Amino acid sequence: MPQPFSVQRTDEGDISVLALEGFLDAHTAPIFEQAIQSELDNGRARLVVDGQKLSYISSAGLGVFMGFIEQIRQEGGDLKICGLNQRVRQIFEILGFQAIYDMLDTVPDAVRRFSEVPTREA
Amino acid sequence: MPDVSHDPSTSLTRVARLGALLESAQLLHASLDLDTLLAHLVRTVMGRHLVARAVVAIGDGETARVAALRGLRSLAVGDPFDASVAESVGLTRVLPIGTPPVGLLGLGPAGRSVDADEEAFLLGLLGIAASGIANARAHEETRRLNTDLDRKNQELASLVELVRALARTTDPDEVARVLGLTLAGQWALSRYAVLAARPGQPPVARQKGMTLPPCDRYLEALARLPDACTPEEIEDTALRDLLADQRVALLFPLRVGGQTVGLAALGPRPSGLGYGPHDREIGAGMAAQAVVALENCWNFRETLEKQQMEKELALAAGIQRGLLPAALPHVEGLDVAGASRPARVVGGDYYDALLVERANAPYLLCVADVAGKGIAASLLMSGMHATLRALIGHDLSLAALAAQTNELLFAATPGNKYVTAVLLQVDASSGQCRYVSAGHNDLLVVRPGGDVEWCPATGLAFGMFPGAAYGEGELTLAAGDISVLYSDGVTEAQRTDGAEFGATRLVDAVHSAASQPAEAIVAHVLREIDRFTRGVPQYDDITIVVVKRTA
Repeated sequence: MPQPFSVQRTDEGDISVLALEGFLDAHTAPIFEQAIQSELDNGRARLVVDGQKLSYISSAGLGVFMGFIEQIRQEGGDLKICGLNQRVRQIFEILGFQAIYDMLDTVPDAVRRFSEVPTREA
Repeated sequence: MPDVSHDPSTSLTRVARLGALLESAQLLHASLDLDTLLAHLVRTVMGRHLVARAVVAIGDGETARVAALRGLRSLAVGDPFDASVAESVGLTRVLPIGTPPVGLLGLGPAGRSVDADEEAFLLGLLGIAASGIANARAHEETRRLNTDLDRKNQELASLVELVRALARTTDPDEVARVLGLTLAGQWALSRYAVLAARPGQPPVARQKGMTLPPCDRYLEALARLPDACTPEEIEDTALRDLLADQRVALLFPLRVGGQTVGLAALGPRPSGLGYGPHDREIGAGMAAQAVVALENCWNFRETLEKQQMEKELALAAGIQRGLLPAALPHVEGLDVAGASRPARVVGGDYYDALLVERANAPYLLCVADVAGKGIAASLLMSGMHATLRALIGHDLSLAALAAQTNELLFAATPGNKYVTAVLLQVDASSGQCRYVSAGHNDLLVVRPGGDVEWCPATGLAFGMFPGAAYGEGELTLAAGDISVLYSDGVTEAQRTDGAEFGATRLVDAVHSAASQPAEAIVAHVLREIDRFTRGVPQYDDITIVVVKRTA
């Protein structure tokens, strides 16, 4: 059974917040890829991914984050991750994502983080 | 224990010492964090003995390594530590921590004289520290095991998820996409490549941050590699340089059933992390799952394509049957019948019976055999059909018709393709016949009395050489005479033992049915062939035309 997944998009000034909900896996990854791609197509490279309602992520889902990060940082932006529940956060950490991405508790924290660290080395 | 003094001030000191020991014991046992614990130990000892430099090393005597230190620049955490190292850095005392020792304490010269009680305090402290260190290490080990377990769980979940995702698709590109994303997620990669190739299928390539050339060019070199390797481990210098140039850090050849069909390549991991034996294992496992899915997709597609091909072939066969005359034109005094049975769905044999719309025009019969079988032959067969039908209205002599046919077919066929044919022109009223045989097997005439005549070729096969000339042969059919035009599929029909139907059996078959109508003769010959071959699959197209003069 395919599990539902959706991306809700909101603006915080020039920062785009993508709120993920449901299962992010190989099957649903294209939805998330498309969401990030359309931000980049619109010249928006400052992204916050809100994972509060993300209930599951597979390696393929994590692969989406890696697929865009170089381009995002080359364009002077960044992708910051926030709101992950304990289980999902653990998967990110096991695979070492905290070394590459700023991981914060809430959307406001993540938005604020942009003023301290607008981008990281690509 | 030192002997007990009754001096009240000494008692006070001892009480204070006991208090300090109790405090340390609480602290040392409350903390499961090794660094905090060691820092407390070092600080306490340095403070009480006024020592300016101290080292705690963990491990037994042989392999102890520095775990905490103060006041020393010449050593660092992780360095090996023993009595001689201690001496070399100016530590004057080395004490075991606990019995049996879990580590060593190295101390510089004490800044004050240390009495026996203080010494006893130190030994007590080390005893407590020993159990604290053992606890902290056990805790650390448990945490490490838990992390390992979490990681193993994650890998298993990852593999299961990959298998599930792969099972959902029949598209090789989707397999590469899912594998690529999974690899990227598993090792936090922004560079990877998944390439695969199978003859007759579009190449599969999914690359991020790499531009490897199509893998069919170096599948052979990949076939010689182990299931996982780094570019440095590859002997083939061309392949090694190619992969190193693309910053490939780890490579998995994609193999299925002993066949190498592609590769999965991982770029460098972030933060300078490398790939361990365990990473190779899990990656090779993922690659193995993907290649099975890839193989399934390819097989699925080939089955679909084959079904499509069969549909088209059936369509072509229908068209080809339409090229053969449905009903032969009836001419007074002649009884004509023909049949053609292709060895495959479509064939390269052709027969025709043509009557030109002209008073007293002779009847023209033809059997032609295109070199080869199947689709290629069938295309040429339709060319032969069109050529003959186009030329027939031009009022040419039989020899001129043959020469023209040769020119047109030569212009339209590749060099190694040709058509043999026999054209027989019959005048129904007189029984006079003319024929041209373009490299075809001998035309057969069987007469009621038992006489048999074979009429040999009068020129080269059509389509071989431009400008070829054709002679005309003559023969006469009296009442009851039968002429048989056939392709070599008739005489060369084979039994399992390799014996061929041959000319004699053909003559016998015609002879034994000679009194019957042409159609029955054709049917009889075909039956005799089937009886002879006993179900051996027909190897070549079989075509036969029988013309019998009835009056």
